[in-house]
Amino acid sequence: MNPIDQLRAARPAHLDDTPVDPRTRAAELSRAMARPRQAPARRRIVRPVWGLGLAGAAAAVTAVAVTISATGGTAPRAPSAQVISSPATTTPRIELSGRSILLAAAHGAARQPDVTGAYWHTVSVSRNLFEAADGDYTVVDPQRNEVWTPSATGGEQWSRTRSLGAEPAGPDDRAAWERAGSPAEIQVKSPKMGDSPKSKGFTLSTEPGAARDGHAPLVDGDKVFWLGRNVTMKDLRDLPNDPDRLKAWLLRSYEGHGTESDDPMSSDAWLFAVTVGLITDMPVTPQVRGAAFRMLADLESIEVVRDVVDAEGRTGSAVAIEERVRAKADAKAGEGILRNRLIFDEATGRALARDSVVVRPGGLQAGFAPGTVWNSETVLEAGWTDEKPAS
Amino acid sequence: MTDDSQRFTSMYDECRQRVWAYVVSRAGRQVADEVVSETFAIAWRRLEDVPEPALPWLLGVARNVLRDNIRAEIRRDALSAELRAWTEDDVAEQVTERLNVLKALTGLSEDDREILILTAWQGLSPRDAAQVVGCSPTTFRVRLHRARRRLKQRMDTAVSPEPRMRNLSEEWS
Repeated sequence: MNPIDQLRAARPAHLDDTPVDPRTRAAELSRAMARPRQAPARRRIVRPVWGLGLAGAAAAVTAVAVTISATGGTAPRAPSAQVISSPATTTPRIELSGRSILLAAAHGAARQPDVTGAYWHTVSVSRNLFEAADGDYTVVDPQRNEVWTPSATGGEQWSRTRSLGAEPAGPDDRAAWERAGSPAEIQVKSPKMGDSPKSKGFTLSTEPGAARDGHAPLVDGDKVFWLGRNVTMKDLRDLPNDPDRLKAWLLRSYEGHGTESDDPMSSDAWLFAVTVGLITDMPVTPQVRGAAFRMLADLESIEVVRDVVDAEGRTGSAVAIEERVRAKADAKAGEGILRNRLIFDEATGRALARDSVVVRPGGLQAGFAPGTVWNSETVLEAGWTDEKPAS
Repeated sequence: MTDDSQRFTSMYDECRQRVWAYVVSRAGRQVADEVVSETFAIAWRRLEDVPEPALPWLLGVARNVLRDNIRAEIRRDALSAELRAWTEDDVAEQVTERLNVLKALTGLSEDDREILILTAWQGLSPRDAAQVVGCSPTTFRVRLHRARRRLKQRMDTAVSPEPRMRNLSEEWS
């Protein structure tokens, strides 16, 4: 069993969500509200300021459920019966030899210049879908994430996050939102989580939030990314250039189950999850990025599709793998299928985005129709800089 | 009731016990009510700044209140008492595995423990939990991986001391 699941199960009973006793409630509320409010010196800052993770005010199972859906589950043996018909963002048009597309990307990636600097700097936008609590429409909640990762050890990793403001996901959703009076604050449901004790949902603001900066020392002074295990910048730069040796290096961390769960996971599915992170987020050398595409080209259970549009409207090719997802690690019912995709530019081997498309509704995606892009992360910038972070 | 006090009250009702549980798991029951009370007093004063969902913000405030007002050694002592209570409570219902997990948790550093508690007991996503501790989600993931590994090591050590002894005897032979 996963240690996190074990820890969750071991949570002392008195920490459960029982109502506060009325006397304490009255005392605490009156103590708080007896104090003067801070005068709003500046204009009202629009909420939300914080990143709106999926878990939010949701139940204790959320974090692991989300990570399972991101990386866990088993790779299905047979293709699912349902076909992706994606109205909003994806229109696969031409089926080509997947292998040749990936090899082209590998070639393009390896020809990119290898320039390094003081910081690896990335800007991405993550989007998650939520169901509106009142009215039948879907809301997308985009957040801009900027990260500076130092190339030197002993430094700090910096980040800047900003909510871009929630909006109706598509034209039909917008029409339904307008019928609901175009609320600036949209009450949404928490993702469905089996027997979760709490699923009250929360509010998303349609107004952009303020930027939030953060910085923290590197873990152990030198670990910068997770690649099946925690790695240093040197580990990343020293990865093997050869697809087979790269695969062997990565698989040393594979133990037969999902990256964050103990659900059985095929080595293909595991490699795909870890390699997408490598290609999308990490400052590996052009040769290693090329080797990563070659390695993907040799996996049995992947599919490649051309002319896929990412959440920013950019067209690229996608390599995808299907994944079974459940809302809770031990839930038997409600299993769904997601198609996890890496969308890339064939000419340069650069990642445009990664996303998850609902193939069969279930798990956390139970409320979404097949073809829905349930979440995505688009890469706007990824490169080295000598400029100091977020000053 | 004004809009503000209505909003504040419903935020309190939704989050109070979650904040309390977080503080208890950081510093024990003795100080919990005091810290929670101060946290919500701050939330009222700064209601303009409180985002939705409010929980990660409130946990971040509670964390600062703990750090600024309760000395580290008092936190530690209070928590040790708390942890003893966890592992001694409800003896009839105790399962060895549960005890083992809690003991492993108590053996970890405060930082590791916090990260695991935010994830497993508060159910926060890496994005939200990173906000509470003030680091990037990327960094949080790396820290979580390390904390998880350390927890597992401690659990494994407690369950099966035999392999270690065998290694030792191999070294001696």
